[in-house]
Amino acid sequence: MRLRGLIILIGLLLVNIQVFSQETVTPNDVHDERVHDYAFINAHLFVDYQTEIKNATLLIKEGKVIQMGANLTAPLDYILVDLKGKYIYPSLIDLHTHYGLPKAALAKSRGFTGAEQMLTKTPGAYNANEAIKSDFDASEVFNNNEKTATIFRKIGFGSVLSFRADGIARGTSTFTTLGDNPNKNILIQNAAAHYSLNKGTSKQYYPGSTMGYISLLRQTYLDAAWYGQFNPRPFLDQSLEAWIAGQNLPQFFDAGGWINVLRADKVGDEFDIQYVIKSGGDTYKRIEEIKATGATLIAPINFPEAYDVDDPIDALSVSLADMKHWELAPSNLARLEAAGINFAITSDGLTKKSNFLNQMRKAIDHGLSESTALKALTHTPAKLIQIDDQLGSLRPDMLANFIITSGKLFDEKTIIYENWVQGKAYRFQSLSTEDYQGKYTLTLDNKDYQMTITGAAGSEKAQLILNDSVTHEIKSALTATLAAFSFPLNKKTIRLSGWRTDSGWKGTGQLADGKWIQWNSTRTSDLDPKQEKKKLTTPPTDALGPVIFPFVAFGNETHPQQHTLLIKNTTVWTNETMGILEDTDVLLKEGKISEIGKNLQDPSALVIDGRGKHLTSGIIDEHSHIGGGGNDRATNSSMVRIGDQLNSEDINIYRALAGGVTAVQVLHGSANPVGGQSALIKLRWGVAPDDLKIKNADGYIKFALGENVKRSRNPSSTRFPQTRMGVEQVYMDGFTQALAYDKVWSVYDELPKKSKINIHQPRRDLVDEAMMEIINKERFITCHSYVQSEINMLMKVAEQFNFNINTFTHILEGYKVADKMKAHGAGASTFSDWWNYKWEVRYAIPYNACYHVH
Amino acid sequence: MKKIINLSLGIWMTFSVIAQVPVPASSQNQPILLVGGVAHIGNGEVIQNSLIGFDKGKITLVNESSNNVTDSSGFKVIDITGKHVYPGFILPNSQIGLQEVSSIRAMSDMDERGEMNPNVRSVISYNTDSEFIPTFRFNGILVAETTPVGGRISGTSSVMEMEGWNWEDAAHTVDIGIHMNWPSKMNRKFDYNTYTAKMEPNKKYDGSIASLKELFKDALAYGTKLNPSVNLKLAALQGLFNGNLILFIHAGTSKEIIESVLFTKEIGVQKMVLISGSALLNIVGFLREHDIGVIIPPTHSMPSRVDEDVYGPYKLPSQLFEAGLTVSLSHRGMLAHGRNLPFFAGTAAAYGLDKEEALKMITSNTAKLLGIDDRLGTLMIGKDATLFVSEGDALDFRTNILSHAFISGKQVTLNNKQQELYQRFSKKYGHID
Repeated sequence: MRLRGLIILIGLLLVNIQVFSQETVTPNDVHDERVHDYAFINAHLFVDYQTEIKNATLLIKEGKVIQMGANLTAPLDYILVDLKGKYIYPSLIDLHTHYGLPKAALAKSRGFTGAEQMLTKTPGAYNANEAIKSDFDASEVFNNNEKTATIFRKIGFGSVLSFRADGIARGTSTFTTLGDNPNKNILIQNAAAHYSLNKGTSKQYYPGSTMGYISLLRQTYLDAAWYGQFNPRPFLDQSLEAWIAGQNLPQFFDAGGWINVLRADKVGDEFDIQYVIKSGGDTYKRIEEIKATGATLIAPINFPEAYDVDDPIDALSVSLADMKHWELAPSNLARLEAAGINFAITSDGLTKKSNFLNQMRKAIDHGLSESTALKALTHTPAKLIQIDDQLGSLRPDMLANFIITSGKLFDEKTIIYENWVQGKAYRFQSLSTEDYQGKYTLTLDNKDYQMTITGAAGSEKAQLILNDSVTHEIKSALTATLAAFSFPLNKKTIRLSGWRTDSGWKGTGQLADGKWIQWNSTRTSDLDPKQEKKKLTTPPTDALGPVIFPFVAFGNETHPQQHTLLIKNTTVWTNETMGILEDTDVLLKEGKISEIGKNLQDPSALVIDGRGKHLTSGIIDEHSHIGGGGNDRATNSSMVRIGDQLNSEDINIYRALAGGVTAVQVLHGSANPVGGQSALIKLRWGVAPDDLKIKNADGYIKFALGENVKRSRNPSSTRFPQTRMGVEQVYMDGFTQALAYDKVWSVYDELPKKSKINIHQPRRDLVDEAMMEIINKERFITCHSYVQSEINMLMKVAEQFNFNINTFTHILEGYKVADKMKAHGAGASTFSDWWNYKWEVRYAIPYNACYHVH
Repeated sequence: MKKIINLSLGIWMTFSVIAQVPVPASSQNQPILLVGGVAHIGNGEVIQNSLIGFDKGKITLVNESSNNVTDSSGFKVIDITGKHVYPGFILPNSQIGLQEVSSIRAMSDMDERGEMNPNVRSVISYNTDSEFIPTFRFNGILVAETTPVGGRISGTSSVMEMEGWNWEDAAHTVDIGIHMNWPSKMNRKFDYNTYTAKMEPNKKYDGSIASLKELFKDALAYGTKLNPSVNLKLAALQGLFNGNLILFIHAGTSKEIIESVLFTKEIGVQKMVLISGSALLNIVGFLREHDIGVIIPPTHSMPSRVDEDVYGPYKLPSQLFEAGLTVSLSHRGMLAHGRNLPFFAGTAAAYGLDKEEALKMITSNTAKLLGIDDRLGTLMIGKDATLFVSEGDALDFRTNILSHAFISGKQVTLNNKQQELYQRFSKKYGHID
């Protein structure tokens, strides 16, 4: 009965094969279909990352696993492969490759010179922004590449996800095994949709910063949702079509360093998408925040090379942060594992892929467990790409993608003999089960010599032992059938050639003088037991230096804590109506000023003697670019948000603190009439980027006037506006559009629920929304300004739309229109003494601030 | 074309609307005696109750007023009791007069094209009508070295007075030295694969030095030829070999400094001065051994490395002083800020340096390094009467308030466009303090 069952099973499989092979091809020969059925016996089999079977048999047939197990008898028609002492692993999977795709042209750095390309130049019905390349389909241009495939196979990989690294939205990838027939190898034509914070080859001017990339992503999600409502579509945008189609696939984000991992995850959160995130090797720097993303990572193992610090002066050019990263990077994966973060491992970023296993071993030496390492290279990637029913383990019906190794994969001396891709073998080393190791007697020319052979077959080493202290290397070439030795004896080379015997070898040889001799060699005993190299026993991360926050010079090992503080007998600058108080105490509790007075007491307080010192509320800088400032490039960039790109690791935060500055407004730059939304932060040295933000702070936005927004320093500039007249029109247009937008939405919002079902929701536009917030007095303007005419102009524009300009910043000619500013209700934040660096600032005077006060 | 016309029209209109820079003063026509001020000599000494007299542009009298009966007849006596008198501050390595509005190409004459320009001379480009100049005087900077920039050899600098009808008038010492920019040995490269910075050797370093060496060797050979066909570049370098010109070496890192100094010695240059920053600290022994003075960046700078002490730039002057070097303070960056030179010294004094030592770094030390200490840098008899009177400590923002300034005895106007604009708009708002 059982036998019958088996026959039926095999019958079914044969039917399967008929379907599986490429029937559409007519051979240029007689038909020569051969069945390749293999039985690998006596192997140490890793079924998956956590299941081992010793003395296992693995049956494969036509590229698939038939069965595996310990007590399995190989059917007679299977070709037997004896793997005594050898290991089988599911082959590895790399989810971050560009395998088989044409190289994307390298993006050149684009500065602020030359004519700006404001609109897309992509020919055809594609997205309005060149950086949205969601229409790219890797499978359309994919072709197998034997040279690259060989490199991957040699380090144990059997399949890869291949995407093109170009654009903010990069289109879809294809998932393929590393065989030589794309028709057969591509397992998932459109495997995943890819995104990044790098515009790639797009030459379009916007976006040009991390916050711009995020803004473009955000707007594209909204555009796709709006566009997708229509049937038929209002117009054709093939990028949006592909974007919409791609949403059902796994979503992969190529983020990079840990800050970008957090940024990418936040974008996903806004749209209920959990990306799989390709990280840098630095996630250990903020492991808690990384874990909180809930993202599965694709982590690299390209650890930095050691710096040459032998010369103490040269060593000064290596920063503490870089030194610490060099030290801690190999422990990154161990720390991810310890934190319970799920991750796959990629070989991406290695200068030499052949170094892959060595790097893995380094990670394991630094505490990564071998099973997690294997999981991250098999199970996890298979699962992420939803192909774990075919790959990642070796079970019946799964693909015969596996590697045969000499020992445990991550052991130092392990070599990979063969890499089987869909049942086809790629062989790197002879599988010969020969083991030549041992002591031998070598007899030649009627004399006996002692010889030892050490090391695994294929890389064995032979030595001639003349006495305790004199040995000679013997060059050897041994196969299962033949042998060749050559070595010097009394400064003359002896060369031997021979064949295998039961106990060793024998054959003929030639002495240096040309005389032919007979020789033989007989195994006498095993090698003397060798002492195993001692492995590290202490958890290596304990022996490493601490992670510091932020990860830069002057970072702290622990986060600073709030204390109850009593500052005694000091001069207090209240900056309130009380003025300056001499010889006064100040009590701080739970982060607030609790009391100001004389002879204050608090037993729980840490007392600071303030005699001879001054105490003031922290300095606040209205206009700063530390901790994440930057510039995007659209004429109206109201949708970009500095808060999207805060950088907690900026050394200037520390330096500003050292000068008494405790809070700043991080502003967008001044390259556009409407810049981005600012972030109000406290200089909390050491916290994560989002924790810098002042909670519930009002929204602010940067505007700018004059030479910068006209691109005056770029003689080739073509961007609108080129005059102050045009600058005004940018504002008039921006606010007019915003009002129109607001009207459309108000009409829609007021519709009864029932009618909404039958009507398309209006498009959300983040530029209009930010402009509308200004009109609604929910967002306040800080405007970079110099010349009186433009200052006056902007106040008039604001008045037309019934709001006020909150702050004119720089405002170097503000003294000329201080009366008008006062009447309008604008504030001023001025340079104390900058002038004559631009034509528009030649009338700047250091008396400006005093005029504004008056 | 239209744009250009608009621009030039703009410039013309501007000058017709606002006042010109102040009229230059005429030469000293009577002896002047400053009585009762605290005299900061500029060499570390202070005379509390001083008499400073000068005539025909030279200092003729430096004394304590209490223990000396000086015949003040013939002098125009100015009572400066309670005030301070200082030698004019000297700003080295500046582009004053060569550049006006930095963002406008047409207004910049500081960087000639080409790598080797020893023959270009800043003196002839010094614009005495620069709007910066009067604002520098306002803070006590009365002399500056105006210096070309760019290339490997930027050109020849001159010491200029901060006043004059034209550059010939303003020239204090013509052609004092040549500025050389030593190449970087290493380039910093950010590796996005591992998120670390990497230092890579500059492949062009050896080539750059070889071309410098060739230039200097050619110049030496040129100097020994009896009737050479004229080569302007080689001719311009001759003064380096006989001590008439100083080689100002701009070098960044410690190793670049060492190599540049040894190079300079090897090619037979007689006088050299280093222009560098915190990298000097690691090799003070070397600098002492070779007796090399240094011109350092303003104290009001960011630390040059992320890992450097936040107050490193404030402390650098005192650290180099302690190490026994001759130090001069300079300015970098926005030209307008050069006028803060006195306050750079003030900050150095707040961070470990004796105040009179800090003063030397903007007076006598600078004069020495520029080779003009026979005429400038201290209040001493025989030196130029280039000095000023301040209401208080001139190294302090709050008390640097000049009442009188003299350049070679000429009393110069201190107010400038900025004060005029202040007064003009005070009229609008009806207040003047």
